[in-house]
Amino acid sequence: VISLPVILWLASVFGLPLACVLLSNTRMDSRRLRVVAIVIALFLTVITTLPFFWEPLRGFHIHLPAWVPGTGAVLRVDELSLVLPTLAAGMWLFTIVATPTIVLGADGLRFTAQSTLFTLAAFLTEHPLVLAAAWAGSVTALRGSLMTTRSTKRHAAGRYLNVSTLLFVVGALLITRPTRHGSALELTALGLLVAGAMIRKGIFPAHAWIPALFEHGRLGPAILFSSPQVGTYAIAVLVVPRAPAELLRVVAILSLLTGVYAAAQAIVQRSARRACAYLFVSQSALVMAGLDCTSREALTGALVLWLSSSISFAGLGRCLLVLEARRGELDLGRHHGAYERKPLLAGTFLVLGLCCSGFPGTLGFVGEELLLGGAVAAFPWLGFLIVASSALTGIAVLRMYFALFAGRSREVPMALRATEAAGFVAIVAVVVLTGLIPSPLVRSRESAAESLFTQRVAGRVQAGE
Amino acid sequence: MNAPQRIVQIFLLLALVSPAALIAALTIGSVPRRPLSERAVARMTSTAVFTLVTSLALALAAYVTTGLEPQTWTARQWLTRTGGALQLDLLVDGWSLTFALVAAVISGTVSVFSYRYLHLEKGFVRYFILYACFVLGVQLVALAGSIEVLFAGWELLGLSSSLLIAFFHERRSPVTNAMRVFSIYRVSDAAMLVAAVLIHHRVGSGSLSTLFRAGTLAAIDDTGSMQLTAIAFFILLAAAGKSALVPFSGWLPRAMEGPTPSSAVYYGALSVHAGCYLLWRAGPLIQGSFIAQTLVIVTGLATAVLAALAARVQTNVKSALSYATLTQVGIIVVEIALGFRTLAFVHLIGNACVRLVQFLTAPNVLLDLHGFEGGAGRRARWPRLYAFALQDGGLDVILDTLVVRPFFAIVRAGQRLDERLSGERPIQGPVGRETQP
Repeated sequence: VISLPVILWLASVFGLPLACVLLSNTRMDSRRLRVVAIVIALFLTVITTLPFFWEPLRGFHIHLPAWVPGTGAVLRVDELSLVLPTLAAGMWLFTIVATPTIVLGADGLRFTAQSTLFTLAAFLTEHPLVLAAAWAGSVTALRGSLMTTRSTKRHAAGRYLNVSTLLFVVGALLITRPTRHGSALELTALGLLVAGAMIRKGIFPAHAWIPALFEHGRLGPAILFSSPQVGTYAIAVLVVPRAPAELLRVVAILSLLTGVYAAAQAIVQRSARRACAYLFVSQSALVMAGLDCTSREALTGALVLWLSSSISFAGLGRCLLVLEARRGELDLGRHHGAYERKPLLAGTFLVLGLCCSGFPGTLGFVGEELLLGGAVAAFPWLGFLIVASSALTGIAVLRMYFALFAGRSREVPMALRATEAAGFVAIVAVVVLTGLIPSPLVRSRESAAESLFTQRVAGRVQAGE
Repeated sequence: MNAPQRIVQIFLLLALVSPAALIAALTIGSVPRRPLSERAVARMTSTAVFTLVTSLALALAAYVTTGLEPQTWTARQWLTRTGGALQLDLLVDGWSLTFALVAAVISGTVSVFSYRYLHLEKGFVRYFILYACFVLGVQLVALAGSIEVLFAGWELLGLSSSLLIAFFHERRSPVTNAMRVFSIYRVSDAAMLVAAVLIHHRVGSGSLSTLFRAGTLAAIDDTGSMQLTAIAFFILLAAAGKSALVPFSGWLPRAMEGPTPSSAVYYGALSVHAGCYLLWRAGPLIQGSFIAQTLVIVTGLATAVLAALAARVQTNVKSALSYATLTQVGIIVVEIALGFRTLAFVHLIGNACVRLVQFLTAPNVLLDLHGFEGGAGRRARWPRLYAFALQDGGLDVILDTLVVRPFFAIVRAGQRLDERLSGERPIQGPVGRETQP
């Protein structure tokens, strides 16, 4: 039975970004639309935090009628998904606040609202078909933003995304078919789901499209599409409870290798966008590795690292966008001297970058520490690749920092706007405060990991393992 | 917990909170567009340093007068997790308190020197934020009772050191050198992290005192012994990166690009000795493994000999002093490995203080002895040895040839493959692309 508070809550969560999509199609002045969007995103952020505090919203599951194929709640809020809507809504708010006006425009607002809508839908369901629909919707929103670019090289990213969507949708359709655990049909479905998620997350060897997307597409929508890591969520709710250990081990090993490889690639890139993309691939791969290590500790670490990498990567991407809006493309082969005019931006970039590399005092350290312990227990030698990835990420981040912020500034003096500055301060505060006082967040992620693990154990028992 | 313990604990927490509060105050103060005045920064720094020195002095006095036993205190149960808790442990004994107090006094001296040295410098506030990070880092290293606390201090030292080398970031050379030093620090940090994981697996927690006691246990099975040797090896690697021991000593002259006060406190006094202090703490563990002990002795001796040669051919006073410091660091490392722990500790403290004074007075000495810099290295009786020493034994070249170049060759091959996979042309020279916001 759906209670009234739940209906109101769901209406607000989905209605607010939908209102923004509709408004962006009207002839409303772009600046006024931006203000409206900020207000909507702010409300959405507040509304999505309600499940933390309001009992009726904490832990509800709504199932589809029995005649609809597939199992799993179509709408749910539980330990795993508790923080995720807030993450998606907060990222949208940060995107609108921290993106320069000149860049955003009505189109940008529409894409970001659409993307948020589909991400929210994905994070609030565990039904394979609904998840596949949200997946396809978010890809469509990104493709819409790609169509507004002039670059012809965007097509590579489009092809990869199409393939990943196709694989995922077919996998979701197959997994809804009634079958026993461990059957060939289920294994095929899981294989397709994993392949789709691996492409979307950029796991080796399907990683090359992400740097291309970042370089040739629109950076803002690309960040909003990638950073919440819908692929991670799909793996967590659809694959981890069902998949055999061997499949997960193979994915974990590939992910660990991708983590190191992408961090190394970030060091040699000359384009700041590409370097940022590789940093994302590396972080995202480590999250995937943790999910597939099949231990409670690694799962908890992966869930914490998921949040930390999403937040810090979104912040890093916005820093690049702010700099690009003022000085054009950013070549890491020379020094841009941005520190002189924007020390706050420099500080933000450094803190968020260090968060990616697991620096103590940031949320990244907590996630990485937990993940490392769990991964080394699962893979006594390969687990240490996380350490290598962290070391390389640190080098890549400092190299980017020096290239962007050291040197003499030749730009027109143009400081950060107040809203941009507020956005950056807020995001730094989040990663530092949760890094210094991690217990509440870790406890919540630990119980989510526990629940996933219990589901997995039950699934494996049914499969006769 | 009895009253003396409580008093010492309060003083220690105060000592750690004061640099942390300074970082927070200076950082928050930098957010508004109008920067903090030099006077305000100096006052804040002086207050923090005074609090730090006083509280550590009182903590040491209370520890000595009340006859407390050495112990590890859990300052905070920071994080409980499935695989065991991550704890903020502080090690309280005469040695750690003494090292922390000496470090605080040295930091205070440097702060007073820095106010004048950096007067009207554009990055005045930035310098003091990094300085505060350093002070917090060195205190964490000195008082660390668990590997997590040690790692936090270690990382803070490395980051602040690299950013201070690049302090004059308008020029390219300091930035390039800072990048190089940071890369070596990352290797050191990675080694520390590996040691941390191994320690957790060995003793079930990150407690350093438990681990270092474990090294002295008479009966250790073969697997345990191998594990302890592996931990000792990674601790040595971490210490070698931070203290510029062989084969990483090539970064030391590069680090002289920063302001003189930071060079004094990092490469003369404290940071370069942090690795020694870590090895000193891990002394029982090192002596518990013959392989580790031999490795430490060889590393220390090689460092001492190489640094002694290099110090004699340097053409600037800061590099000459840093190599002179390193010579002593090598000897201290050998003393630790041989088990002369008290001698090593006194040597460490003495060397840190002497080098600090030498670094800080170096500009005046140069003024007094015109032409000193030009005179260094003039008498080259053995040209090959001279060249060998001048190139720091060719260690940088060896590292570049064996590690850096192959690494970049592999990564660049991967880069070309990625560009083909995504349907892009390989990028030659500067990036050329169609950028869309």
